[in-house]
Amino acid sequence: MTTQPHENTLEIRQLNATLPNGMRLLRDVSLTLEPGEVRALVGESGAGKSMIGRAVLGILPSAVVHSSGDILLEGQSLNAMRPKTRRSIVAKMSALIPQDPLTALNPVRKIGPQITDPLVRIHRWSRDRALKRALELLERVHIRNPERVMNSYPHELSGGMRQRILIAAAFAPSPRLIVADEPTTALDVTVQKQILKLIRELQRETGTAVLFVTHDMGVVAKISQKVTVLFAGRVLEDAPTEAIFNDAAHLYTRGLIAATPTPNATAEPFRPVPQDLIAQLQRDTQAEDVRFYQGGRK
Amino acid sequence: MLLKNVLVRLITTAITLFGVAVVVFVLVRVAPGNPIAMMLPPGATPEDIANLSALYGFDKSIFEQFVIWLGGVLRGDFGTSITLRQPVAELVLGRLPATLELSTMALFIALGLGGTVAVIGARKRDTATEVGLDLTSGAVLSIPDFLWGLIFVLLFGVLWPILSISGRIDPRIEFDFTTNFYIFEGLIRGRFDVVMSTLSHMLMPAMSLALPLAAMIAQLLKQNLKEVLNQDYTTLARVRGFSETSVILREALRNAALPTLALVGVQFTFLIGGTVIVERLFAFEGLGNMAIDAVINRDLPLIQGIVLLFAALFTVINLLVDLSYTLLNPRLRHG
Ligand SMILES: Nc1ncnc2c1ncn2[C@@H]1O[C@H](COP(=O)(O)OP(=O)(O)OP(=O)(O)O)[C@@H](O)[C@H]1O
Ligand SMILES: [Mg+2]
Repeated sequence: MTTQPHENTLEIRQLNATLPNGMRLLRDVSLTLEPGEVRALVGESGAGKSMIGRAVLGILPSAVVHSSGDILLEGQSLNAMRPKTRRSIVAKMSALIPQDPLTALNPVRKIGPQITDPLVRIHRWSRDRALKRALELLERVHIRNPERVMNSYPHELSGGMRQRILIAAAFAPSPRLIVADEPTTALDVTVQKQILKLIRELQRETGTAVLFVTHDMGVVAKISQKVTVLFAGRVLEDAPTEAIFNDAAHLYTRGLIAATPTPNATAEPFRPVPQDLIAQLQRDTQAEDVRFYQGGRK
Repeated sequence: MLLKNVLVRLITTAITLFGVAVVVFVLVRVAPGNPIAMMLPPGATPEDIANLSALYGFDKSIFEQFVIWLGGVLRGDFGTSITLRQPVAELVLGRLPATLELSTMALFIALGLGGTVAVIGARKRDTATEVGLDLTSGAVLSIPDFLWGLIFVLLFGVLWPILSISGRIDPRIEFDFTTNFYIFEGLIRGRFDVVMSTLSHMLMPAMSLALPLAAMIAQLLKQNLKEVLNQDYTTLARVRGFSETSVILREALRNAALPTLALVGVQFTFLIGGTVIVERLFAFEGLGNMAIDAVINRDLPLIQGIVLLFAALFTVINLLVDLSYTLLNPRLRHG
C-alpha cells in the first residue's frame, strides 16, 4: 500500500445516519479535509453537525444507525475495519476538543494521568516522554505552574483552564485530525476569544487538520478555510470560506451570515434567517424534494 | 474543622449508644418472663426466687438497676451473664471475632460478586444479557438470607455434602488460639489447615448473608455505571481509544461507586443483623448465635452487652463508610 502525496486527511462519502424510527439525521453527507486544513461545519441547532463529528470518531449514540456511506482517514476506509482496529486507528489519528470543559474531565481523577494515560496506554509512549509532552503542551496553552495543575483535580480549576487542558490533551499525541465541537460555546465571551486564538495558533504550528463545528459565522471567518453548511442533516453548500462570505450560493447561508455580525459586513444590518425560508427548506427536506438543491439558490 | 467533625461524631455516637442502652434495658425488663425462675429447678420456692433476684439486683426499680449497670459500664464492667456465669464483656468480645470474620467475608463476597455482575451488566447494556442479569439479581434479592441458608444446607450439606454445615472449624484441628480471629491468626501463624477449615465452614453462612446484598449492589451499581457512561469524560476516553471495559473500570467505576457506597453501608448493617439467624442455622459460634441463647434464657446482662456491641459496631461501620466516601471523592478531601 502506497500513500499518495496529496491524500485527504478525512473524507466522508455519502454518509447516512438514521434513527430506528426512520428519522434521517444525516443525508448523503460528503466532505473532505486536506492535511492542515480547517473546515467549519455550520448550521442551526439540530442540523447534525455534532453527529458528523461523532460518526468520524466512532461515538455515535447507540440509538443512531450508521446506515450507509463511508469515512476514510488518510485513505483508509473505517467501514472496512473491525471495531477494535477502527477504534485504535481513530484514536491514533484523531482527537476531540469537546464542547463543555466542565463535564469532559473525570472529576475523581487528577489532571496529569488524564492527559498522559492515552499517550502511555494507547500510543505506547514511555511514561517519561508522555509526562514531558504533557508539561510542554500545558505550558504552550499558557497554564502557569503546569506541575501543580497536573496534580490537581478538575474541580480546582476554572472552565477556561479546563478547556485549555483539553486542548493540550487533544494536541498531545500530534493527531492528523482534530474534531472541535463548539469548543467555546460553554465559556465566557472573553475566554472564548483566547481559546479560539489558541486553537488557531496550535493548528497552524502543528498543521493538524481541524473539523470545526460551530454556528457562529464570526468564528467561521476567523478560523476556517472551507465551510460546509448543513441543514436538517443535508449539505446545503460546500465552499471556500471567502466564497461563502462574498458570494454564498444559498439564501440560507446568506441568512446565516447576515444573522452574525462579521468583520467585513459593515453596512449589513443584523437580520436573522427568514422564517419562511427555513419553513420552505423544512418542507423540501420532508418531501425529499429535488428542488431542495435548487430551492434556496439565487 | 476536622477536629470539630470528630468531636461532633463522638458526641452523637455516645448519645446513640446511651439511647440504645436505655431502650434495651427497659424493654428486656418489661417483657414477660423471669430470668431467675428459669434458672432454678422446678419446685423452687418463691423465697428462693426472691433471694436470687436480690443477688442479681432485680428486686430494685428499673431506674436504680440502670444507674448501677451504667456505673459498672463506665468502669468497664458490663455485668455477669446469668446463665454462663462469666463476665459479659469477656463472653461478648470472645464471640465478636467470629461474627466479624463472617460478616466481613460476606461483605467481600457481596462486593466481588455484585461488582462483577454490575460491570458485566453495564458492559452488555441494552442487550439480552443485561435483562437476564437484572432478572437473576431480582430473583436472588427476593429470597432472604436465612432461606438461602436453608437452600445451601439442603444442596451442599445434604444432597451433595461437600461443605461443613455446622460450627466454625473442624473440632479435630489442634490449635491454641490467642485471638478468636481464626482466619487472621491461621494466616499469620502459617497454619493453612486452620484457614481452610474455617473458610469451608464459613462459606455457606457467608454466601447466605452475601447473596441478597450482592444482588442489590449489582442492580444499583449497574444503574449508576450506566449513568456515568453517558458522561462526556467517558465519551472522551472512548475517543482516546480505550475499550469499553477499560472505560468502565478506569473512568466510570469510581464515580459510580460513590452513590452506591452509601447504600452498601446501610445494607451491611442489615447483613450483620442477619448473622443472628444465619449463625443459628449453621451452629456458628458467633455473637448472633449467642444472642439467641441469651434471649431464650432471658439472660438480661448478656442481651444488653450483645445489643450494645452491635450498636457500637453499626456506628463504626457508618464511620468507615463516611471515611471511604471522602477518600473516593476528591471534592470532599480538600474541604
Ligand atoms: N442520542 C441521540 N439519540 C437520538 N437522536 C439524537 C441524539 N442526539 C441527537 N439526536 C438528534 O440528531 C439530530 C442532530 O443532532 P446534532 O447533535 O448533530 O445537532 P447539532 O447540529 O450538533 O446541533 P447543536 O448546535 O444544537 O449542537 C437532532 O435532530 C437531534 O435531535
Ligand atoms: Mg452539536
